[in-house]
Amino acid sequence: MLDPIISARGVNVFYGDSQALFDIELDVLPNKVTALIGPSGCGKSTFLRSINRMNDLIPVCRFEGELTLSGQDIYDKSVDVVALRAQVGMVFQKPNPFPKSIFENVAYGLRIHKMCTAKSELQDRVEWSLKSAGLWEEVSHRLDEPGNSLSGGQQQRLCIARAIAVQPKVVLMDEPCSALDPIATAVIEDLIDSLRKDYTIIIVTHSMQQAARISQRTAFFHLGKLVEFGETKTIFTTPKDERTQNYITGRIG
Amino acid sequence: METPHIVKKFDKNLDKIKSVILEMGALVARQLEDASEVLFAYDKKEVRRITELDLMINGFHKDVHSRAEILIVRRQPMAFDLRATLAPIEVARELERVGDYAKTMAAFAETFDESPPASEHIALINEMSAAVLVMLGDVLQAYLTGDIELAANVRAQDLSVDILNDKIRDSATKMAGDSTHDAKACIYVILVAQKLERVGDHITNVSRYINQVYTGDDLKRSL
Repeated sequence: MLDPIISARGVNVFYGDSQALFDIELDVLPNKVTALIGPSGCGKSTFLRSINRMNDLIPVCRFEGELTLSGQDIYDKSVDVVALRAQVGMVFQKPNPFPKSIFENVAYGLRIHKMCTAKSELQDRVEWSLKSAGLWEEVSHRLDEPGNSLSGGQQQRLCIARAIAVQPKVVLMDEPCSALDPIATAVIEDLIDSLRKDYTIIIVTHSMQQAARISQRTAFFHLGKLVEFGETKTIFTTPKDERTQNYITGRIG
Repeated sequence: METPHIVKKFDKNLDKIKSVILEMGALVARQLEDASEVLFAYDKKEVRRITELDLMINGFHKDVHSRAEILIVRRQPMAFDLRATLAPIEVARELERVGDYAKTMAAFAETFDESPPASEHIALINEMSAAVLVMLGDVLQAYLTGDIELAANVRAQDLSVDILNDKIRDSATKMAGDSTHDAKACIYVILVAQKLERVGDHITNVSRYINQVYTGDDLKRSL
C-alpha cells in the first residue's frame, strides 16, 4: 500500500453557522486519479477547495481538523499559502485563461514563484508544460496570441499547462469538462490519464461515467459526509452503502 | 430494487426486459415439456411444431439483446442497474440453449418409435424431464421475484439431475452390451439423458445470474 500524499482527519468545514463537511477521514494516494462524486451541495467542492486553502478567501468559512500534504499540515500557521498553491494546482469548471498571451499564461506562475531565472529556461519550461498538456502542436506557431482566442477545450488544456508548469504535487480539478463538448472532454480525459504518472489528481465530477472512466479511486459524498470511498470499480459495480447505490443508479430523491 | 429510479422510464424498460425473459422462459418450458411428451409417443406434426418454436425463441433472444443494448446506450446503468440490464442477455442465451436441446430431443422421437427403449429407461428419462421442468419453473419464479434463496435451491436440485444422468448412462451402457436389448435405443437414451443434464446446467447458470444481479457476486467466476 502506498503512503497517502494527502490525508484528511476529522475535517469539518463551516460556512458561518452552517456545517458543510462532517468529520471527513480520507487518504489520497499518489499518482492516482481520485474522483469526488455526489449530489450538488454534498461538500465535494468544499473538500477540494480545502486542499489548497481556496476557502480562506471566503470570510465566513471556518476549517477544523487536520489536512496534510506529504505529512505537512496544510493549515499550519507557518504555511505560505502561495507556496502551497504552487504544490497544489487547480483547474476550474470554466476555462479561465489570463488576459495575456498563450506564452504568458504558462509563464506567469513560473515568474511569480521565481522558478526560472534565464529566459531560455523559461521558454523550455513553457514548451514542456504545453507539450505535457497536449497543446504544443496546436499553439507552438502562435504563442503570442491571446489565451482566450483558443477554443474551449484548448483553453482548458492551457489552464492545465499553467497548473503543471510549476510542477505541483497535486492537481485539483473542479468539473473541468462540464463546459466542453464530448471530443474536447475525451482529449482532457486522455490527458488526465497521462498526467497521473507525474501528478496526483483529484477531480470533482457530476458525470458518473467520467468518474468511472478516469479515476482509480472514488469518494461518494452526501449531505457533507463521506459515505463511501474505495476502488472505482467497486464503487460503480458493487457499492457497499445503499446511499451510494441509490446515487450512482439515479435512485436518490 | 425497491427505490424507484428518478427516470421512471428506466424502471419501465427494465420491467419490460424482465417480462420478455419470462415470456421466453414460459415458451421454452412449454417446448421442453412438449418435447418430453413426444419423445416416446412419436407424432411427426408435433415434432415439426416443437422444432418451429425455435424460431420464436430465437426472436425473443434477439429482442432481449436489443432492448438491453438500447438501455445501456441511453442510460449507462451502473451497479445493480447494470447487472439487471446485462443479466437478461445472459439469461436469454441460456434459455435459448435449453430450447435448442428441447428441439434436439423432439427429433429423437422418430428413432425411439423405430427402436423403443426399455421401460425402465423411459421411466428414468421422464423422471429427469420432470426434474428439469421443476428447476426451470423455479428459476423463472426466482427471476420474477428476485428470490436468491429459491435460485440457490435450483442449483441444489441440479445435483439430482446429474445423479439421474449417471444412473441412466450406467444402465443403458450395460444394456447396450446385452444382445437381448436394442443397442441403438440404449445409445439414444444416453444422448437424451446428456441433453437433459445440459439443460439442468443451463438452468443452473440462470440461477447464478439471478444471484449476481442481487448480490454482485459472480458465482460462475468463483467456480
